[in-house]
Order: sequence, then C-alpha cells, then structure tokens
Amino acid sequence: MSVLVAVADGAEGRAALAAAAAEAALLGTELVAVNLTLDPLDRTEGPLADAGVTVLERSGPQDRDPAVAVLDELAQRGDVHRLVIGVRRRSRVGKMLLGSISQRLLLESPVPVLAVKPD
Amino acid sequence: MSSGPATSAVSSPDVRGAHSHRLGLITVIATFGGLLFGYDTGVINGALEPLQRDLGLTASTEGFVVSILIVGAAVGAVAGGWLSDRFGRRHNILLLAIVFMVGTLACVVAPSWPLLAAARFVLGLAVGGASATVPVYLAEISPTERRGGLVTRNEVMIVGGQFAAFVVNAVIYNVWGEVDWIWRVMLLVAVVPAIVLFVGMLRMPESPRWLVLQGRTDDALDVLRQVRSPERAEAEMAEVRRLAEEETRSRTAGPVDLSVRWIRKLIVIGAALGVFQQFSGINAVMYYGTQLLGDAGFSANAAIVANTLNGLFSLLGITCGILLINRINRRTMLIGGFALTTTMHLLIALSALLLPDGTVKAYAILVFVVLFVFCMQGTLGPLTWLILSEIFPLRIRSLAIGICVTALWLGNALVSGIFPPVNAALGIGPTFLVFVALGLAAIVFSWKAVPETRGRSLEELESEFRRRYS
Repeated sequence: MSVLVAVADGAEGRAALAAAAAEAALLGTELVAVNLTLDPLDRTEGPLADAGVTVLERSGPQDRDPAVAVLDELAQRGDVHRLVIGVRRRSRVGKMLLGSISQRLLLESPVPVLAVKPD
Repeated sequence: MSSGPATSAVSSPDVRGAHSHRLGLITVIATFGGLLFGYDTGVINGALEPLQRDLGLTASTEGFVVSILIVGAAVGAVAGGWLSDRFGRRHNILLLAIVFMVGTLACVVAPSWPLLAAARFVLGLAVGGASATVPVYLAEISPTERRGGLVTRNEVMIVGGQFAAFVVNAVIYNVWGEVDWIWRVMLLVAVVPAIVLFVGMLRMPESPRWLVLQGRTDDALDVLRQVRSPERAEAEMAEVRRLAEEETRSRTAGPVDLSVRWIRKLIVIGAALGVFQQFSGINAVMYYGTQLLGDAGFSANAAIVANTLNGLFSLLGITCGILLINRINRRTMLIGGFALTTTMHLLIALSALLLPDGTVKAYAILVFVVLFVFCMQGTLGPLTWLILSEIFPLRIRSLAIGICVTALWLGNALVSGIFPPVNAALGIGPTFLVFVALGLAAIVFSWKAVPETRGRSLEELESEFRRRYS
C-alpha cells in the first residue's frame, strides 16, 4: 500500500507534497513522489528529507506527458490507494496551451484523488 | 522512468582493418546527402538569371521560388527526424534519395514558376530531411573518438556541394548562357549524386544505436562487427546501449515543460541564435551571389565566375572554423564573428554607396562579399550548431533543438524570401545597412544572453541556467 504524489513546479507542488506526507503518516503507508518537473527535487528538507520516500523522475518519450507518466505509474504499481495532486487556477490561454494535468488526473485516475490548493 | 543516469563504459581502441575501409565507404556515401543539400540550395544562385528570362520572374516571385525550398526544409527537418526515429536512419536516407531525385526532375520539367515553386518545396523536404538524418547516422555509426571528425566532414560536404554547384553553373553558363532553358540542365546535374546516394545506401548498414533503441540487439552487434575490429565490436555494445538510453532520455521534455521559465528562456536563446546566424545574410549571398555581383557592376558572364569565389571561400572558411573552434571560447568566437561579419556588411554598404560605378566598385564589393563569406563560415557557421548541441540539458534536448532548428530554417526562409524585393527597391547599399543593424543587434544579444559552454560539464551548465533564468 502506498500514497503517490504528483509534484509539479512551484507552490502547488509543495502543497501536494506536504498533504501527501500527512496522508501517508495517517494511513501508515509508504510515500512515492513522481517529479513532474525536469529539475531535481530538494531532498535536504521537508517530507523528502526522509530517505524512506521514493522519488521517481520522468525519463524518455513515454514520460513526455506528465499526466500519462503518473497514470502509467499508478497502473504499474497497482498498490497505490491514494493519489495526491496540487491544483491552481490557470488563465484561459494557459489552459489552451498546456492543458490541465490536474483535470486529466482527476478524471482518469483509477484510485481516489486528494486535490490540494496552496494557501 | 528511471532513478539516475547510467555510467560510461570505456571501450578498447579500434585497430585498422577491413572494417575501417567499410566505415570510410559509409562516410563517403552518407555525406552525399550533405553534398546534395549543398548542391540543391546553391544551384539556384547561377540558375536565376536564365530562369528569370525563361519563366518571367519578378523580384518577389523570385524570392518566393527561392525561399519555398527553405520552408520545405523546415518541414522536412521535423518530419525527417520523426521518420528516422520511427523507421530507421538508413531507411530514411534511402527515402530522401528518392525525394531528391523526384524533386529535382520535377524542377527540371516545371513549365511555369508556380509549378517550379511546388517542385522546390518537395526538394526542400529532402534538404531538411538530410540535415536532420545524415549527421545523426554518421554520429551513430562512427567510433566515439572519430565522431566529431566524421560529422564535421558532412558540414564540409554541404559547403562543398554549394561550391560544386557554383562551378557547374559558371561552366555551363559561359558555354550556353544565351539559351533560356539552360537552368534546367544546371538543376538536372543534381540527379547524379542522388543516384549515387540511393545505390550506395542500399549496401550500407542501419545505425547500431537505432537498432538497440528498437530492441534489435543482435542486429546491432552484426553491424558493429562490420564497422569495428572484432574485439572492439563486443566492447562497444555497452557504449551503444548507454548512448541509446541517453538518446531516450533526451526525448523526455514535451510542450508542458515550456511552462517552466528557465527552460523557456534557454530555448528562446537557442532559437534567437539560429535566427541571428541567418540574419547575417550568409544565404542571401549563397543564393543570390551572382545577381548581387551583377548589380555591383560585373557582366553576367563575369558575375557567375566571380561567384565561384564565394563558394571557394565558404569552403576555406569552414575549414578554418573547424580548426579554430575548440581553441577559442565560444562567446569570444561568437561575438568576434558577428563583429567581423558586421564590419564586412558596413564595408559592402559603403562601397556601394560611396564609390562611383565601375570596375573599382565592382571589385571592392566582390572582395568584401568574399571576406564576409569567409569570416561567417570561419566562425558563426559551424559555431552556432556546436552551441546548440551544447546548451540544452539532456532531458529537454530533443524538443529544444527541434524548435531552434525550425526557427533557424524560418529565419533563412525570411531572409531569402525578402532579399530580392528589398534589394530591388533599396539597392545594395541600404540593404546591407539593414544587415549592419541586424548584426549590431546580434552582438548585443550574444554579449548579454549567450552562455559560455566551452569546457564545462552539462550538469554545471544546467544548474547555472536554473539559477540565472528562474
């Protein structure tokens, strides 16, 4: 059993990570973080400082689309019972250009999704 | 997904033998793709004068017919990259050879300028495809220690192809210059190297790295046994696997990642570099050199002969550039290159504006144009490609280079499309003053924005970019 968190760039990524760490502690399960950005995540502080957390990086064309990367990981693991994502408002143009990763994850995730907003 | 980069494998040195001969042959055949790229882009230079007479071109239709090939190349570079990942490098080069033949023949028989433009668009697809596939094929099939040299040889062949086109044009024109349809013969010559490329590639092997990417490990080892010593072939499989994995990682980034500021900024810098390289006007000279020298005061027969000097000095320039490239810092060479080309533009403009019409003016412009070509090919020509291959972190490389190369081709299309009407409206002097202004902008841009990449690891660069551009 595990909690999987999709860590996007910026505040919503940090919020998702914090919520996911709390959720994993509550449920007493392992935490897996999928890094949606191409920058390395900071493992020196916050929930990721715990060496027990698995961090996965996007690699190769099959991970080009972050939503697909997360959905593939969910399908492959099979033992994930909660997906945590960060959400934020996007401008219309931003939505058109980039689509909404969160929306696709909400609609297509086979497991319950916890969506958090940064304060 | 992965957890970290793979480590490098050290291979045993390659010793000479039958396989070296085979590798040499592969290089010669594959670089015919580069030669065709050069010939087909350069041949229009000398063909334009009879072509104008034959099909009744104006300055704007002329720009259209010339630049549509470049638009085709922009499309062909993207499509060619995709096809060669999907069906293989060798397959793609064979396909390109056929498109080169079909495109050339369609140009040769075109009865009117719109049909000629359509045929040149097709030919452009092949030119772009060759620019995307041939260097990759050469890099993937050559041993690590010779990789740079073999890929460089392709760049020399491109410029050599242009020079060859200029010489062929000059000879044909001086013998049969008064015949209106002689441009068709000039274009037809390109069928010969296309046939050599096709027949030659039939006997050449597929890229071992592409085979590994397809999971065809045994086939990859078979190819390596043909082009390496037996001991080296076995040893190199690990290296090929590592590079195949790296290649896969380079294709991680997609459009979504453009939302990240430092990635976006870096790609904009690369694209601007490609566009500024083209705004130096090198291809205005490579495509319209004969016409330019005619405007400067040479007779038609003399201009087409003088234009071969542009081809020759382009070839000499790129040879010097390749010798210099790893001895000077990238930024120094880039800014120095733009300073030299902008100075030449200024000297061309001043000669055109201040000297009285006549032989002195014609020769002054010729000397400065030739020096411009030499300075450009000795610095910016090869350097732009090198910087583009170095500045992008691995996981965004494929996306980033795709965008930058498309921008570079479109910059080329823009310059070659509007040069004839602008030159016809303003004359040589003011037109080159426009190039001076663009050159000054390029110097400021290079000084402010382009990072130094010489002698630094990709990891160092990546963390610096993240700091600078976030």
